Amino acid sequence: QHKQISGVSSGCQQGGCLTCSDYNGCLSCKPRFFMHLERIGMKQIGVCMTSCPPGFYGTRSPERNTCTKCRLECDSCFNKNFCTRCRAGFYLHLGKCQENCPEGLVRSDTQRECV
Amino acid sequence: GWIQDKQGPMMPLCPTPCQCEKDGIFVMVDCSELGLSSVPANLSPLTTYLDLSMNNISEIQPRAFHRLHLLSELRISGNQLRYISGHALQGLHNLKVLMLQNNQLERLPDDAPWDLPNLLSLRLDANLLSEVPAGTFRGVRSLRHLWLDDNSLTTIPVTALDSLPSLQAMTLALNQITHIPDYAFTNLTALVVLHLHNNQIQSMGERCFEGLHSLETLDLNYNDLKEFPVAIRTLSKLQELGFHNNNIKAIPERAFVGNPQLQTIHFYENPIQFVGKSAFQFLPKLHTLSLNGATQIQEFPDLKGTTSLEILTLTRAGLSTLPLDLCEQLPRLRVLELSHNQIEDLPSFYHCSALQEIGLQHNQIRRIESQTFQQLTSLRALDLSWNMIEWIHADAFTSLHSLIKLDLTENHLSSVPVAGLGSLTHLKLRGNTNLYEAFSPDNFPRMRVIEMPYAYQCCVYGSCESYKPSNQWDTEQSNTDEDLHKRTVAMYPIHAESHYDPDLEEFQMEIEESKLQTSVQCTPTPGPFRPCDSLL
Repeated sequence: QHKQISGVSSGCQQGGCLTCSDYNGCLSCKPRFFMHLERIGMKQIGVCMTSCPPGFYGTRSPERNTCTKCRLECDSCFNKNFCTRCRAGFYLHLGKCQENCPEGLVRSDTQRECV
Repeated sequence: GWIQDKQGPMMPLCPTPCQCEKDGIFVMVDCSELGLSSVPANLSPLTTYLDLSMNNISEIQPRAFHRLHLLSELRISGNQLRYISGHALQGLHNLKVLMLQNNQLERLPDDAPWDLPNLLSLRLDANLLSEVPAGTFRGVRSLRHLWLDDNSLTTIPVTALDSLPSLQAMTLALNQITHIPDYAFTNLTALVVLHLHNNQIQSMGERCFEGLHSLETLDLNYNDLKEFPVAIRTLSKLQELGFHNNNIKAIPERAFVGNPQLQTIHFYENPIQFVGKSAFQFLPKLHTLSLNGATQIQEFPDLKGTTSLEILTLTRAGLSTLPLDLCEQLPRLRVLELSHNQIEDLPSFYHCSALQEIGLQHNQIRRIESQTFQQLTSLRALDLSWNMIEWIHADAFTSLHSLIKLDLTENHLSSVPVAGLGSLTHLKLRGNTNLYEAFSPDNFPRMRVIEMPYAYQCCVYGSCESYKPSNQWDTEQSNTDEDLHKRTVAMYPIHAESHYDPDLEEFQMEIEESKLQTSVQCTPTPGPFRPCDSLL
């Protein structure tokens, strides 16, 4: 239900940037921040975040921390095979977003889950 | 600060300098990146989303959120918090998502744990935690997703995890864990995903994964495991397993007997020398198997019951023969990569009708029989380079209608059957020093790149003026233009004059492009010291 209302400050004013340019935003991030390319109009701006934007999941590694797209049917996910919230019309059960629920469970449209 | 409400009067209680947005009767408050050093005081009780990330908050006053009973998501990531007591988060009965990553947390509450009965997602990643007290999670029993990665844990917080019966996904990656004890995750019966990559795990108890009845994804990549993790035997629902970049030297017999649901196994970058012949049996959902450099493998693995395999890579081993029933076991094989072995004889790949790529380079093959590649109508690339092939049956390639790349570099051929090779765009014959024949371009109407043993064999491809009379080459070129135009108009008579058709435009561009590619790149290129006439 969360809604990302905080605008991403572009250019070099972001707190997580290590190197940046006014035109491309962050070129590299401070340790432990996730690098994400945000599309603004025709441009792509580098953004350094503490968590990836909705529809993406973060993977930490010693070299860098990256954001990767979730599956289409997921609004948010833990990794590429495990959703944590589904898109409208899909219902969550054990990390999977499906149009129907397993036997014994029913679809909850408010939570978008099988309950 | 006030909230502008389009339908009704101004609503108070948007703390300056935050931004607020109405969501029905509720309020979503964004105070991120404002240089705040404490939680704003006058937050509306109707706040459901509060973002305090990327500020300078080093402490949360007791009862800072005690009025926010409706708060669903709280983000305090990217601050300087060292400790958050149980009292600090009092009152958040409806909280579902709590983000505390990228702080300086060194300790978690033990005696008075957080009371967040509806919490589903808890992010504690990228902090300085060296341990998780036993009672930390006693008040978050509904938790489903837990991030503890990128901390300083040296052991699995076994007791703390005992209180999480609903946990479905957890990451303990990027810590300094060295051992997984037996029964480490016993109560996590709902866990589906477990990430343990980038630790220093050297050993694990044979019963360490007991209780993980729902586990589907296990990530042990980038650790120091020396033995194959036999403990996975209890994971009957496992679908994705990774233990690449470890120190494992052998995969035992019946290694995955307990994991019939496995779809992917990633274990590259291990010094694997030995693989049990039965190691990969009865994995009906496995679609990719890659083994490189396992020099002690002398026999082709028995893949009985592993019928969905599509990609099989088994290179740099000690294989000398292939099973005759290879394709009966692997009917769905699309890519077969067996380079750098000692294979001498080939079975018929007749039943591998889905094969698209075969890599047999750097083996000891001498002959290609008529039935070896029969009926491989989907085969697109065949690499037989660096073998000892002396003879290829005249019908060996007749059914390879889709073959576009054939590499016979460095063999002992004196002739090559061209029947069936009409689709080739790339043909490599370099290094066959007994092969003198100059193949006519008519055999290869789509050829683009061809490598021959000798330069003079390239002259038929118009690579040198002295051999080809110039006017014949030009007239030949103009005829083809007229043909192409006629054929295009015939196919689209109605569009010929009156009507602009984008599809036709695209179709004509393709023709133009393909015309550009009619010139064949043939090497070695003839020249003064490599004349068109054969020196012999």
